[in-house]
Amino acid sequence: MESLPLTRREFIRRSAGGGLGFLAFTGAAPSFLAQSALAQTPGPERDRTILVVIQLAGGNDGLNTIIPHTDDNYYRLRPTIGLKNGLLPISDDLAFHPSCGPLHELLKEGQLSIVQNVGYPNPNRSHFRSTEIWETGSSSDEMQREGWLGRFFDNTCSGTPNEDADPVGVHISDIVPQSYLSESSQAIFGMKPRGRIDGGRDPADIAFEKLLAAEHIAGNASYLQHTMMNTLVTERRVEKIISGYKPKSKYAYNNLSQSLKRVAALIHADLETRIYFVSQGGYDTHANQENNHARLLAELSGAMQAFQNDLTAHKKDDQVMTMTFSEFGRRPSENGSGGTDHGTAAPLFVMGSQVKSGLHGMAPDLNIAQNKDLKFSTDFRGVYSSVLDRWLECDATKVLGHGYEHVPFI
Amino acid sequence: MEVKAPTPNSFKIEGAWKPLPRSHWNKETAAHLFRRIGFSASPEMIQLALKSDSKDAISNAFANAEQLEMPDKLSEYRKTAHQENVRIYRDIKDPEEKRERRRELRQQDESLFREYAMAWFHHALKPENSATEKFVVFLQDVFVVDRRTVRDSPALFTLQKTLREGVELKYPELCKLVSREPAMIRYLNLDRNTAGKPNENFARELFELFTLGEGNYTEADIKESARAFTGYRAKNRYEFELQLNRHDTSQKSVFGEAGDWDGDDVIDITFRQPAARTFLIRELIKFYLTDEIVPEAYIEALGEQWAARDFDLSYLIETFFQSRLFYHPAYRGKFVKSPIHFYLGLCQDLHLDVVPFEGRLLQSMNVMGQPFYNPPNVRGWLYGEHWINSTTISARRQTVDYLFEPLNEDKLNGNDKRDLEAAREQKRADFLVTEERLAPLLAMEPDEIAQHLTTYFITASSRSAYQPVLEQIISAADSPLAGVRNAIIALLQSPAYNLS
Repeated sequence: MESLPLTRREFIRRSAGGGLGFLAFTGAAPSFLAQSALAQTPGPERDRTILVVIQLAGGNDGLNTIIPHTDDNYYRLRPTIGLKNGLLPISDDLAFHPSCGPLHELLKEGQLSIVQNVGYPNPNRSHFRSTEIWETGSSSDEMQREGWLGRFFDNTCSGTPNEDADPVGVHISDIVPQSYLSESSQAIFGMKPRGRIDGGRDPADIAFEKLLAAEHIAGNASYLQHTMMNTLVTERRVEKIISGYKPKSKYAYNNLSQSLKRVAALIHADLETRIYFVSQGGYDTHANQENNHARLLAELSGAMQAFQNDLTAHKKDDQVMTMTFSEFGRRPSENGSGGTDHGTAAPLFVMGSQVKSGLHGMAPDLNIAQNKDLKFSTDFRGVYSSVLDRWLECDATKVLGHGYEHVPFI
Repeated sequence: MEVKAPTPNSFKIEGAWKPLPRSHWNKETAAHLFRRIGFSASPEMIQLALKSDSKDAISNAFANAEQLEMPDKLSEYRKTAHQENVRIYRDIKDPEEKRERRRELRQQDESLFREYAMAWFHHALKPENSATEKFVVFLQDVFVVDRRTVRDSPALFTLQKTLREGVELKYPELCKLVSREPAMIRYLNLDRNTAGKPNENFARELFELFTLGEGNYTEADIKESARAFTGYRAKNRYEFELQLNRHDTSQKSVFGEAGDWDGDDVIDITFRQPAARTFLIRELIKFYLTDEIVPEAYIEALGEQWAARDFDLSYLIETFFQSRLFYHPAYRGKFVKSPIHFYLGLCQDLHLDVVPFEGRLLQSMNVMGQPFYNPPNVRGWLYGEHWINSTTISARRQTVDYLFEPLNEDKLNGNDKRDLEAAREQKRADFLVTEERLAPLLAMEPDEIAQHLTTYFITASSRSAYQPVLEQIISAADSPLAGVRNAIIALLQSPAYNLS
């Protein structure tokens, strides 16, 4: 098989018709050419801080992640699914789920902070809507389209979007996260957790590239072609980086681990990208949650540790912070099917060598009646504000519209 | 070769809006009509249309449209929403409980809104409803109201219903009906517009966005007209009422005509202004035909005719879609599909049901840039090239990929599982491309398949470039099935498929 072109120049040269046929109908060709010379040059922003966001989709059961094992209320509310054995101590009163060994180690190493009981006022229990609230950083009675990270891009990557630059945000999921939606046009790049990025031997993708190269019409068609081609060129570069990457820790074969391995590869390659978004699904544990939840947490902990160790080994750990979020926690009272229904607040994790390790915020008060919900103690936008102001160095009030009390994990 | 856009020199104004001659009614022109008036052009539709003429094809496209029934739960909610709001306001004393009840009500409304959105996609997907619903989307982009601001699903539903019925009305009549719609009254603050304390929001948008366009009215016209619309309100939340004690009955002078005008009078006066003849036509062109500038002379010519028919919308639709200008080769195959067009066209081309997962469908419309009933601002969406950037184009490719991948039912959340079950019960769970679906194509030779796909999925301008590539993709694959699958995915993700 013919090798794939890796630069815009090569792509253009090999386009159907050969020669510079493509140049004749795209006004943007000169910058394509300029880019090919720059493609291997590390961007000026390569030493900037990076944020990795891990979505736990479905609503993670916070009370069975960080367990208040000295509180009788916990066992009163969860007579069958309440965890007793194999807990990994965090403080006198709190312990990790037995599957969270790797997170426990990260904590002991001073690389993990646990923000307790994070939520927002007037919680919404719909997956769709609550995810939207978290991703847009809005209040529960406020409708916004743009995501909090999209507004971060708008605030920091202003000016004309430069097609030659690396993407401002990369996501590893099958749909662009709402977090990334922005007011102005921003270069977002998405890929799957596994398989070749550029299709490689995936014949459907090869077919797509052939059609893209076959196109020879003006107007909107060439604009579309141009946009798609830019993405393809990014795909090529990303594929090359990822396939050549030598991780220095062992990543498991699950999707989340593989996603984070890809993120590590791109960070190692000094992409200018500052935000990465990965997703792990399956947290909607309405029934028989014991084994499922244990597996999810084992995958999550293992993936986070592998990633952090890899960054450290590559000396990138100073530059990267990783945080988790989930649309809601689950109901403190277990339901009748060995599971839990949609709830409100839950803890989240912030990981990195620069974080202030340990517990932050207040643990939830479990002295509540049957089937009542937790009342959050830390607003998730306080977490975002800390990340924006102290890590990404972008004025959080510009992104979130208000100031929120910082959480001192940075 | 690039066909030049028509100018009054190259393409006579007198002939521009005359019906396309029967001799030009063929596969290409019929396909152009169906892709623009609706979302796709199936072989069956084209065959049927060629037995008759473009006039019949247009009237048939609207003839069998069904009403969209208000979903039961929404209609239940509508019956009690007003009382419930009053009760919370009046009877509940504890502020905490008051807030809690309001919140519950709002969440109920949000969840009903998503159900309504899903119902609309199912409805618009049916080919017999497509032309009407596309016109509704057009009108929604003129009479812009957004869900973020209004947050009242029954009111949003009825505004859309009025627009749907508007297809058969005269445009001034539709403007009057819209001015009485609770959703519009709230969106443009008509309920704040009272004698002595006028609010000009509605009057301004009536001129700027619904009827005349900027530059065709004065600030004085707005001030005077605002007084004519005083006293409008939605009684009991959903019934229009003109409150006489808040209505300003004094003299107003609008566009030089003085009298004790009310809102309807102002609308009648507005349609006596020359700009009212052309405004909607320009919008129609931007939505259905091209994002290039069409010479004013053409627009004025149609405006004359339309005004002479008292701004009848059926007349406008019939004349526009039959016209020689509409079928001009320069306007074919170059228009970027809107996300709604792209998505519903995709489902129709593949004979698929709409994805039953609320989260998935609504979110993908969101990332493609057209969340249901939620335009970015009062101007509505900008059509054409504005739909395209790296995010939205990736979102379109992902939308296609999703249809060709097997469903992992274990990964679904509880809501999705319920949605899937319901879709199966209603026999509309064929929302992914399975092998059986591709089987009929396998009987054909690669060149025939390539020809078939490019004929029905894309327009003529890219066909000759794509056919040999597709043929080669199909022949080179390990199995015929894989070949067809790859070719279709590639084609649906190609630049040409994003154009109509």
